Amino acid sequence: MSVLRPLDKLPGLNTATILLVGTEDALLQQLAEAMLKEDCTSELKVHLAKSLPLPSNVNRPRIDLIVFVVNLHSKHSLRNVEESLHRVDATFFLGKVSFLATGAGRESHCSIHRNTVMKLAHTYRSPLLFCDLEIEDFRDTMAQRLVRMLQICAGHVPNVSALNLLSLLQSSENPSLDDL
Amino acid sequence: METQSEEQAAAETADSRGEGEPPPVAGAQAARPEDRMTLLLRVRAQTKQQLLEYKSMVDANEEKTPEQIMQEKEIEAKIEELEKEIEEAKIAFEMKKLALDRMQLSSALKKHLEKINIKTSVLMDNMKQILSLNKLVMKSQQEARDLEDKLLDVRKKRLQLKQASERKLLEIQTEKNKQKDDLSSMENSGKIKTIQQNLEMEIQITTVIQHVFQNLILGSKANWAEDSALKETVLQLEKNLTMIQ
Repeated sequence: MSVLRPLDKLPGLNTATILLVGTEDALLQQLAEAMLKEDCTSELKVHLAKSLPLPSNVNRPRIDLIVFVVNLHSKHSLRNVEESLHRVDATFFLGKVSFLATGAGRESHCSIHRNTVMKLAHTYRSPLLFCDLEIEDFRDTMAQRLVRMLQICAGHVPNVSALNLLSLLQSSENPSLDDL
Repeated sequence: METQSEEQAAAETADSRGEGEPPPVAGAQAARPEDRMTLLLRVRAQTKQQLLEYKSMVDANEEKTPEQIMQEKEIEAKIEELEKEIEEAKIAFEMKKLALDRMQLSSALKKHLEKINIKTSVLMDNMKQILSLNKLVMKSQQEARDLEDKLLDVRKKRLQLKQASERKLLEIQTEKNKQKDDLSSMENSGKIKTIQQNLEMEIQITTVIQHVFQNLILGSKANWAEDSALKETVLQLEKNLTMIQ
């Protein structure tokens, strides 16, 4: 399949699947391990991908949350993410997509400005998270956060839906974008 | 259907156990049925939520999307409108939930009050304290209001006094201006000028007469130093009478 659709498969019982898309293999691997170490009542499945489209020969479960990881040090990762965004169905952006920007800690190495990523997240109406994935403590905190988001997006939390979460996450980001 | 889900649930428990939570083997058997129950309940809640999501997607897909090509700005405006609608729906829902909670709480409280012994319960003590605090609050609010009223009165009086003094000063100023005007008009009037001219002429005449007297006395070769009146007349040669104005 060339385009990812959110609800085209039936969900697995007590299973939640997250897809991490990004060019930094090592960071994604570490983040995946941190997420699997988290205490969670549902079963977690983490899929890693360098870019979309995903190969169609693999039998994979329904994807509940896509996180696009952008490394602020390399323009290549941003371009990769932008191209992969075309392969995602529009209905995914109702709360099941999130952007994660890493590498903001070292200003001198940043070749992408923060505002570029913020604009990207604003265009796609998705939440943007900042985290330095190289530092273990931040990575663990971010893994915790992603696990909670994943549970909500998979429908494992009663009375909270992905769209609900989206509108909850949006209010704090919009005011800063008026300066853009 | 039920046995199927139970078997699946058993298999799932094994999986999640294997993932990250190794409990002691001895207690595992005893804890199994409770775990299964909680798992079943959890899975039930999940399935409900997921069903809700699918249903809402189906409903959303039935709505027709507008076919015309809209400009980006219009699309953005439309998106913000829709987001506002979502927020409003959420707020309305929260308000209704609050109202419902309040009703439930009040009915539960009523039932509780009917059952208990009125004199000894902690609830009644709390209520009594709440009432006394409320009375205190109302009293202090009343006092605050009285003080504010007094302050307001004092301020009003101050304002009135200020206005009165302003008026008085204005009057004084107009009086002064009038006086100045009168003075300058008087000075410029013709009468004063003629009087001034007359005065000057008189002074000149007096000077001439004085000079005549002085010359008479000098010319008469009388001894004027002895008589004080003569002395005075002669010595006035020094004084210039036009200086006396």
